[in-house]
Amino acid sequence: MKTFHRASRMSLPLLAAIVLAGCGGSSSTGGGLGSGPLLVGIIAPFTGADAGLGPAYYAACLPAALSINNNGGVGGRQVSCQKFDTRGEPADAVPAANAMIASNSNLMAIVGCTSDEASSVVPIIDRAKIPMFCMTGQSEFNKTTLKYFHRLVPADVYDAYAMVGSALYGPGHSPYHKAALVFGNDIGSQAFVKPATDAFTKLGGTITINQAINLAPGTSYRTEVAAMLQSKPDVILTEALGAAGTYLKEVKSQNNGQMIPFLGTSATIDPVWFQQVRDAIGITDFLKYYQGVDLGYTFSGPAYSEFITNLNASVSQFADAPKYKQRGSTLHLYDGIIMSALAMVATNSADRTVYDPKIIDIGNGTSGAMVVNTYKDGVAALKSGKSIRFVGAGGENQFNQYNNSQSGYILVTYDKDGNEVKVGELTPEQTSTIINAGGA
Amino acid sequence: MNLFVAAFGFGLVSMSVIAIAAVGFTMQFGITNMINLAYGEVMVSSAYVAYYLNKAGISVWIGMVAGALFGSVFSFLLNRFIYAPFMRRGTANLGMVIVSLAVSLMIANLLLPIVGYYPVSYQEDGGGLIRLGPIALTRDQFIVIGIAVVLMLAIHALLTYTRLGKAMRATAANATLARNCGIPTGRVIDGVWLITGALCGLAGVVAALNAGSFVIGNGAAFLITILAAAVLGGAGQPYGAMIGAVLIGLITEFSAAAWSPQYKEVVAFAVLVLVMVLRPQGLLAKRGALAAAG
Repeated sequence: MKTFHRASRMSLPLLAAIVLAGCGGSSSTGGGLGSGPLLVGIIAPFTGADAGLGPAYYAACLPAALSINNNGGVGGRQVSCQKFDTRGEPADAVPAANAMIASNSNLMAIVGCTSDEASSVVPIIDRAKIPMFCMTGQSEFNKTTLKYFHRLVPADVYDAYAMVGSALYGPGHSPYHKAALVFGNDIGSQAFVKPATDAFTKLGGTITINQAINLAPGTSYRTEVAAMLQSKPDVILTEALGAAGTYLKEVKSQNNGQMIPFLGTSATIDPVWFQQVRDAIGITDFLKYYQGVDLGYTFSGPAYSEFITNLNASVSQFADAPKYKQRGSTLHLYDGIIMSALAMVATNSADRTVYDPKIIDIGNGTSGAMVVNTYKDGVAALKSGKSIRFVGAGGENQFNQYNNSQSGYILVTYDKDGNEVKVGELTPEQTSTIINAGGA
Repeated sequence: MNLFVAAFGFGLVSMSVIAIAAVGFTMQFGITNMINLAYGEVMVSSAYVAYYLNKAGISVWIGMVAGALFGSVFSFLLNRFIYAPFMRRGTANLGMVIVSLAVSLMIANLLLPIVGYYPVSYQEDGGGLIRLGPIALTRDQFIVIGIAVVLMLAIHALLTYTRLGKAMRATAANATLARNCGIPTGRVIDGVWLITGALCGLAGVVAALNAGSFVIGNGAAFLITILAAAVLGGAGQPYGAMIGAVLIGLITEFSAAAWSPQYKEVVAFAVLVLVMVLRPQGLLAKRGALAAAG
């Protein structure tokens, strides 16, 4: 017994070492739309520090599938959605992507692929020749030659510039000249740091401190906040998903109950983030001190109405779906899936090599194309022999030769219920000044 | 300089949280011979019990007591209905580790649809800052330190002065001999699960309060720090776990003050690896509270 006991005690360090170390198909070919169900894969973090991202993309797929299925499917083929968890880690994302592709020959499109895992999974998906719509802002995709990659949001560098614009020219405050950068230590969050620093400092601002904070659950940030407060910033520029509530609560606590203004990236327009920070610092301070940036959505019109109807109808599959009614990435990925389905109908092909190029045509429109806002209208127009341009819930798309669709930013905040409220926008001159300063 | 003094104060809070959890974990292992990888999940389950009570308008401090009671009963039941039957069948140590890992995953995945993946926070304002020179901590943080000190003294008193404590030490040293000497080792082990489960539950609420917000995934993160403190101090040694907690708590905060915050865990675990290289048995392996009496 004693020996047994001792042996097991020796095994604990070994076990700890193991645990610590751990912390860390083909489509149908030929003509015709084929038969059988179609699948949209959502490859994104559903667990881990960025677990809030995956549900936003799942909430895009469900209403898109409903919109397609309620209108005859893709040539009668019903669309469903399946989650593939990357945990926000490239090491987990690669096997997840390989498994997704190997076990599903009926993938019509893939959405998600955030900055956490895009570098590792995008080449895999592209080799498999599956159209994808990625929510990554990484600059490596600004001039990508990967044919199956599509991006409906600007690169992170522009998100960072919009934050700088909000700090310098935003409404309701005098220009902030001293900024603390508080970003998560993940790839996606760190992408903002250099462009924000370059633009802000060249326009006369000072970065008082640059903190790359650990996003691991349960981490406390007392010393980090003390250091940040000692640097005496006017404003905090931040994207620290998962950690924002803890960090900002500590700011309020150590600053004698007073918040300091904080500006978030477009990723902070998110119901999970809103709830977390609101609960941490209280709604009054939240509304008083927060501003964010986002793409200029109207949250109105026939495309948005169709989206909302189907989003609300998705509650049986995902109870939180309606919370994503104003999440930009949810709108864009919804549009991406609809465009993929319309491209299949337009080419009358389930061959991904055939319908992939058509996605760009449907997004940008060709000369004389009829503008449609819903899958139903798109299919009807195509069947009557017209070419179409799809303008969806996220607004118009303007794909460039690198399959990147760009649009401008607005300055926003929330109302007490978590709805996005526009508070201003940057003038073209201001935007140009910031971009020139940042060197993009 | 002030930042380092402030970091020392924050380190006191961190080490208090880690100590409560790590002492429970290491006692559980030292006496029952069970490496319970579900410990983190029991912690976070208890934190949710306190959260729902708090959400219903009950003070978080009462929720903490409820969390401790829940952790105690939950751990006791886990042992009675899952771990003990496997042990009786002679499942090897590694097999028991796998069983506890399975239990850990089951708890996390069963809880997920109930509690959701949204981070949640206690409705507790922290009680305002209290300054002791450059150290500024909230009232709640001082209370957490106080709770840890009282619990550590209570554990010391339990193991040193009480019949139950002495029976625990005897069971830890040699359960067969203890049984032959008339010690009801089965009841002693039940007592250990109840006591360490209470520490686990209380630690969960304290850790969640300390972190500001928490999610179901926190269980695994808690476990890593607890394992580190327990191993650093000497596996199965409550006093060692206390020392391990002090070292990990202070090192993480000092390294955050001195370097980039993203390296604070790296530094803490680098120290752990260094200690393991120089002293594989941990800091207090030969002289622990659970060593044979006399």
